[in-house]
Amino acid sequence: MKPFILRDLVDDRPMDGVFRVNRALFRDPALFELEMKHVFEGGWVFVGLSTQAERPHDYFTGFIGRVPIIVSRNGDNTLQCFVNACPHKGVRLVRKLCGNARRHTCPYHGWTFDSAGANRNIKWQKSGCYSEAFDAENHDLAAVARFGEYRGFLFASLNADVPSLEDHLGEARKLLDLLADKSPDGLELVPGRVCFTYEANWKMQLENCADQYHFTSTHPSYIRILEQRASEETREVVRSSIGAADFWQETAQGVSGGTMTFDHGHVLNWGVMPVSSANADFERAEQLARAFGEARRNWMFNMRNLTVFPNMQIAENASSQLRVIRPLAPDLTEMQTWCIAPRNESAEARTFRIRQYEDFFNPTGMATPDDTVCYEEAQLGMAEQERPWLQGHARGLMASVEGGNSYADMIDLKPVRSVVADAQLCDESLFAGYYRAWATRMAEVLA
Amino acid sequence: MTALGPTEAAAFLYREALLLDRLDFDPWLALYTNDCVFWMPAWRDDGTQTEDPDSELSLIYYRGRRNLEDRVKRIRSGFSVASNEMPRVAHMIGNVLSEQVDDATIRLDSSFIVNVQHVRINRTHAYFGRYEHDLRLIDGEWKIARKVIRLMNDVVPTMLDVYGI
Repeated sequence: MKPFILRDLVDDRPMDGVFRVNRALFRDPALFELEMKHVFEGGWVFVGLSTQAERPHDYFTGFIGRVPIIVSRNGDNTLQCFVNACPHKGVRLVRKLCGNARRHTCPYHGWTFDSAGANRNIKWQKSGCYSEAFDAENHDLAAVARFGEYRGFLFASLNADVPSLEDHLGEARKLLDLLADKSPDGLELVPGRVCFTYEANWKMQLENCADQYHFTSTHPSYIRILEQRASEETREVVRSSIGAADFWQETAQGVSGGTMTFDHGHVLNWGVMPVSSANADFERAEQLARAFGEARRNWMFNMRNLTVFPNMQIAENASSQLRVIRPLAPDLTEMQTWCIAPRNESAEARTFRIRQYEDFFNPTGMATPDDTVCYEEAQLGMAEQERPWLQGHARGLMASVEGGNSYADMIDLKPVRSVVADAQLCDESLFAGYYRAWATRMAEVLA
Repeated sequence: MTALGPTEAAAFLYREALLLDRLDFDPWLALYTNDCVFWMPAWRDDGTQTEDPDSELSLIYYRGRRNLEDRVKRIRSGFSVASNEMPRVAHMIGNVLSEQVDDATIRLDSSFIVNVQHVRINRTHAYFGRYEHDLRLIDGEWKIARKVIRLMNDVVPTMLDVYGI
């Protein structure tokens, strides 16, 4: 007996022009538990960048759903991903966020493991009067079922029964390529992790990253600052890449961007941004055009908010940000965020990227707080009520077409659906991509 | 006024805190030099903070009071949902140590707790950490030339603005 009925939760009737999501998805504790098991612990999730553990015996820790994990580079220079828990009593083996160690010793009873996860010592094993059955057991750290890398992006799955990572990422790989190709040396995280929480469901963040509709109404205070700064041109303030673009402005003419949805829940919201010195990548603009052609280079400068379902988002707009979404409760979410940057860019470009980042992306900045406060206000409205269906997934439905468009063709992208938009269209129909992937991962518990 | 003994130095910090508690931003901004540095580093890992704001991320980094003025403008704009229902705040400053670097420069170390009550959602949070103030004597008045806020509990619940630190 399956505990939930899909059509009660997601009203997906394209022929009738209907796509609606029930508020229960943002609130129901039983549904949340099932999401953790099936969405986060039942399929591929993003776990980190390979450059976070670059040298032999480097490691970093995190979570897949509720399960603590460690990503460790062994002595043979191979990255592996293990459950970060001692097989003996389940104690979390490594407490640090990151570091370098050849050996990890459990603080409780002293079992020791090497950087390849192999058990190297069970304290007083010989005098322990263990049974043969115990000796026959595997005492190494449990490797996660699947672990893979694409262009330095690391993904893992606790469930072995998943498509290959290549299949899972599908067309989204081409969008990771756009980012990774910005430097021949690849990508890195700028030192300094910023972590925050908000008291609302994780899907608020999932949607917001792809939500062009909110920008001018949620962030007018920030937009006013940008306008003022642009008119003054003092050296004290930082130029804004968003301020130098008009894809979001009411008065913009013509195609300003659009959306694309891909298999497995990955979505892109994009906007036209000029190749301009307001973008930290400008120093490489000519070099990138030579290496990849002008069309592809221009796409590298476009605003691109990419979600790799269910927990990774890369926002390239005001600067470049990597976000990892970690649900803690139906109404509590943790966000880990970093400035992601091409390696070996000039010191000036790096500083510029960082300055643009802080004001916009930080929970201590001038834009993100207005988002997260809205998430919390939305969570209040998710309470059970007579009219359970949200009306927030309907814009753009009649503009959405199967397959791609001329903009996608420029970089050989083949989305499942796409929308080409002017500045005011602000498609919401792309969110359907999230919920269809959500329903697929939840299929076992949805009738 | 030129000399600033330990008692007066501490009083200077208390005055800044009081202005923030009162959300009285104009005299607060006036405490800063035009070219002031206002810096809240991020944490690199469990134990170390970012040290070079030009190559590492900060929670806040501004060079120039002009940027703080922008923050205040946004808070007052009426167009920021995070700022429309202003939280109530109370700063507690302690462990003030002062060191006269030269005739025109004083370095202050202190500890802070800032209790923030978000009226919007009836939620209180206490931020804590250490301040480092560099005061400079300009036209007979002591001004903040550099303020570093070392935030210890850096996992920010929802949002944090300049009046909450």
